[in-house]
Amino acid sequence: MKFGYVSCLPETPLITRFVEELNNGRLMGTKCEKCGAKYLPPRAHCKCGSADIKWYEAPRRGKILTYTPVVVPPESMSKYAPYMVAVVKLEDKTRLLAQLTGVTLNMLRVGMLVQVITRRVGADRIAYEFKLV
Amino acid sequence: MTQKVGIAGIGHAKFGKRTDATLRELAHEAVTRALEDAKINVKDIDASVIGVACEEFAAQVSPAVLVHDYVGMGNKPVFRAEAACATGSAAIQAAWSLVKAGLADVVLVVGAETMTHLGTLKATDVIARAGDTRWEYPFGTTFPSFYAMMANAHMHQYGTTREQLSMVSVKNHMYGAMNPYAHIQKAITLEEAMKSSMICYPLNLYDCCLISDGAAAVVLANEEKAKKISDTPIWLTGLGAASDTMMISERETLTELRATKIAVEKAYGMAGITSREVDVAVVHDCFTIAEIMAYEDLGFCKKGKGGKFIEEKQSYIGGKTPVNTDGGLKSKGHPLGATGVSMTIEITKQLRGEAGKRQVNGAEIGLSHNVGQIGQYCFVHIYSR
Ligand SMILES: [Zn+2]
Repeated sequence: MKFGYVSCLPETPLITRFVEELNNGRLMGTKCEKCGAKYLPPRAHCKCGSADIKWYEAPRRGKILTYTPVVVPPESMSKYAPYMVAVVKLEDKTRLLAQLTGVTLNMLRVGMLVQVITRRVGADRIAYEFKLV
Repeated sequence: MTQKVGIAGIGHAKFGKRTDATLRELAHEAVTRALEDAKINVKDIDASVIGVACEEFAAQVSPAVLVHDYVGMGNKPVFRAEAACATGSAAIQAAWSLVKAGLADVVLVVGAETMTHLGTLKATDVIARAGDTRWEYPFGTTFPSFYAMMANAHMHQYGTTREQLSMVSVKNHMYGAMNPYAHIQKAITLEEAMKSSMICYPLNLYDCCLISDGAAAVVLANEEKAKKISDTPIWLTGLGAASDTMMISERETLTELRATKIAVEKAYGMAGITSREVDVAVVHDCFTIAEIMAYEDLGFCKKGKGGKFIEEKQSYIGGKTPVNTDGGLKSKGHPLGATGVSMTIEITKQLRGEAGKRQVNGAEIGLSHNVGQIGQYCFVHIYSR
């Protein structure tokens, strides 16, 4: 299974593991065993230089920091437009970008509560997305 | 090593939808004018730094060599700079360093890009891949969407209005109408700006810069050569550069470009000035919100007061700090690699007193501010007579 609505990178062990977990309903980030830094989405290496990382399950609730509706999409996303993208601060203060579904522009405000859910895209693709709580 | 580095020649190609030229001819147009302005021959130049942001736009791998060879630089050294939308300014900092280090006395800087041949959707797709292609692009983010998210955050936090965003566009179109090299030379009203079609709320068509073709060239030289070549060399007295996280979600704040604040502090420090001494500035207005954040991050006004700054016309000629007197990216166009070099040309004209109807009277100190992506690159230059 591939990650995202569209992609232009090959599937590496990191993304394969992430996608497997997401498919089972778990949103996984990585944590550096050396300095404690947390990454969501996950990274194979910490910015401190360490490759000593451990997977952790991220919280699924957060608040909208900002959002915008994309009306003019990249060519590759034409069949999905228009759609909303948002940046959300999760309960553990990590921040995540994804599409925000089931909303209209005029019902949205900064600070609204959202949940992160698994989203299947067609037969062979998967992503996470935000839904208002 | 103690010599100053000066701008000894400038040349600007017409920005626009240039179906009459490809990268090489556009670059030639700019270089010819820069050599004419400097009254030198291409043989008098020691090396070139060529700024082209993107192979897909150029439809050419190794585009710098194409330009270097086409304009007759022969076997001289050629370097390519790439810094997304700030490519032109990266090229200037690289050329400055070559001169300062004594590796070259006279360096030709060319910024060029051809974008319109791809069409809007394809061009949007290419630029979208300047977002993280693993974790952002797969959700359909676009460059307008990143700045729109910052605009929404700024409006929420500081009460900035859509009307204030449109006011930036009105100003830049007014000055662009006086610039013969601008892509769109047409003044617009506030109503026209506000009623244009929505791209990414709160940004509509007139809040977004254009997709353009264009080129710009400058000749940089050490103090001795600059004085010999030019009667009115303009000195690069302060340079600053900074970077930021690749992903927008990693930013602690969405209402400023931290890279701008870091870069400008370095540049002011090196030039020994404060924001108050800047007589004229060109800033990175890829979107109207970017110009409003630039007023704040460059210190022209307090944080959160950028909307008021344009509303009170403080960034018009006659205001506190005139900004984007050449029409900015908004109306002049934004051929990625050419933009930063074009900014240097506008400030050079202003400090030489050659800006015509757009002249800021008695301008002695200028500033250019060029951002790549959403602050992953930022370059600030200070200029003086
Ligand atoms: Zn670490």
